[in-house]
Amino acid sequence: MIEGLVEAIPFFEELRFWAIVILVAFGLFFTFVSAVGVIRLPDVYSRAHTASQTDTLGAGLALAAVALALGWQNATVYTVLLLFFVFITNPTAAHAIARSAAESGITPWEKETDEEVTSDD
Amino acid sequence: MTAELINEIFLGAAALFVVLAILMFYRVVAGPTTQDRLLAVNVLGTNTVVILALLAAGLDEPWFLDIALIYALLNFLMAIAISKFTVERGGVL
Amino acid sequence: MYNDGRAEGVTVAAERILVPLSETVTVRQTVGYAIRSGLERADDLECHLVVALPSDREMPEGQTEVETARSLLSRAESWAREDADSSSVTIETAVLGDEEYLFGPRDFVGTFSEYADDHDIDRVVLDPEYEPGATAGLLQPIERELEAVGLPYEEAPVERPARHEQLIGDGTQQFDRLFAMFWISYGFYLVLGDPTYWFDLVTGAAVAGIVAVALANVTFTFPLGRVRSPVRTVRFGLYVPYLLFEIIKANLAISIVILRPSMPIDPKLTRVNAHVRSGLPLLALANSITLTPGTLTIRADDQRLVVHSLIASARDDLFDGALERAVRFVFHGRESAAIASPRERGDAEIIGGDEL
Repeated sequence: MIEGLVEAIPFFEELRFWAIVILVAFGLFFTFVSAVGVIRLPDVYSRAHTASQTDTLGAGLALAAVALALGWQNATVYTVLLLFFVFITNPTAAHAIARSAAESGITPWEKETDEEVTSDD
Repeated sequence: MTAELINEIFLGAAALFVVLAILMFYRVVAGPTTQDRLLAVNVLGTNTVVILALLAAGLDEPWFLDIALIYALLNFLMAIAISKFTVERGGVL
Repeated sequence: MYNDGRAEGVTVAAERILVPLSETVTVRQTVGYAIRSGLERADDLECHLVVALPSDREMPEGQTEVETARSLLSRAESWAREDADSSSVTIETAVLGDEEYLFGPRDFVGTFSEYADDHDIDRVVLDPEYEPGATAGLLQPIERELEAVGLPYEEAPVERPARHEQLIGDGTQQFDRLFAMFWISYGFYLVLGDPTYWFDLVTGAAVAGIVAVALANVTFTFPLGRVRSPVRTVRFGLYVPYLLFEIIKANLAISIVILRPSMPIDPKLTRVNAHVRSGLPLLALANSITLTPGTLTIRADDQRLVVHSLIASARDDLFDGALERAVRFVFHGRESAAIASPRERGDAEIIGGDEL
């Protein structure tokens, strides 16, 4: 029983290591996508999409990696709180910004080519 | 050994996040509307929070997380306050 | 006069109330209050929702007025049905005064009292912001006139945005709010601090007390149920993994679109009428829609959501209404989750950018 646990611990260490690597990698990937989106997309509404969602997921994954690395201690609670907080506030902030854009009269960008097609159906 | 490697990974990731945050400055400068800039600053703020958390783990300084939490709060408040203010200029927020 | 309709201790078999509506910020709450207060007094409720039009149908502006009145009535009717839940409530709607020219409070009250006589109305529930037509400040004179014709009336106790009046609710409700708020903030404080250190315990209690007194009414704008609220929290716990899965799935789809050099995006504005209650459920739905990539809530006025969608597949998901069902599950339980999708209800449409 005890020998089994001792044998299992390096395995868990290994597993945790790879989990952290994968989480950080995906976090970086999604944050990269959000940066590309904010720079490439045509108008404030579309940019708000990546700014709020893809970035939230990227930040969330990176924070999850941090929580996993810190293990079971007080600081982990902070990280989890931070994670929840980012997940609640980011969409709200994006909504507020999009709404303010709407109220200052910015019209959304639309594809010009198939405008006729979509207005028919 | 793995613990050190993990710390290295976190520091490397933090560096990459800094690069992405700097990329965001393009939108802050280019605009063209206030909301665009605000959005970019908001994303930048979220990135800063993540960088702080990664540094907290990588440098083993858990109190960085306190700053990250406050930064996240202020970041949210800034986005709400400015977007409200651009709509109701000087009105009741 | 104010308390006339409130015959204490007498539960009549059926109560008939008249609710005049106009397009105000408090109209939603007024309908909610009318249904609630009516059901408290009687088992059977007949709720007459009416819109009084100042100008008659023949005038040029009359036609559009009738149309806006009808859309307000249909919205109000769905609100009333939602609030009534399973109780036996009959809802009647009517457009009044489209055949004559109403001028001034006396004419309006005359129309109401005529309608009240025809339908045996017991009392009138007034929206405190009630503004028939374009004339502001008609409420006081209307109340005087109602008193003069002897029609019992009551102002709905609503919470006006940005005015922060005290909310309705008796002692226990107030206590529940304070209690919940106190423990939530105390718990948060202790998580950040050290739960074993006496200084943190004392300062935490003081801070939580201040927060509870100052913010309980701002945080909980609805009455808390002692059983329902914990159950909702548990169901919300079930909702989170589902939402996470949706977020990751949709994020991958969006990433592919954005990283493609041609960037095949097709942004469109859509309007969706959500069938969830205002307040926390609507907030949860709007935030979930925003969190799922490809869709972004721009406006949430009552139940009308204006959603910006980036790609066609995200738009389809939105119109299928899976998130709406999930939010209904969280707040109302399993059986109310099974409703038709916004597409089937005809509550989803693509709108042009100028309709913001």
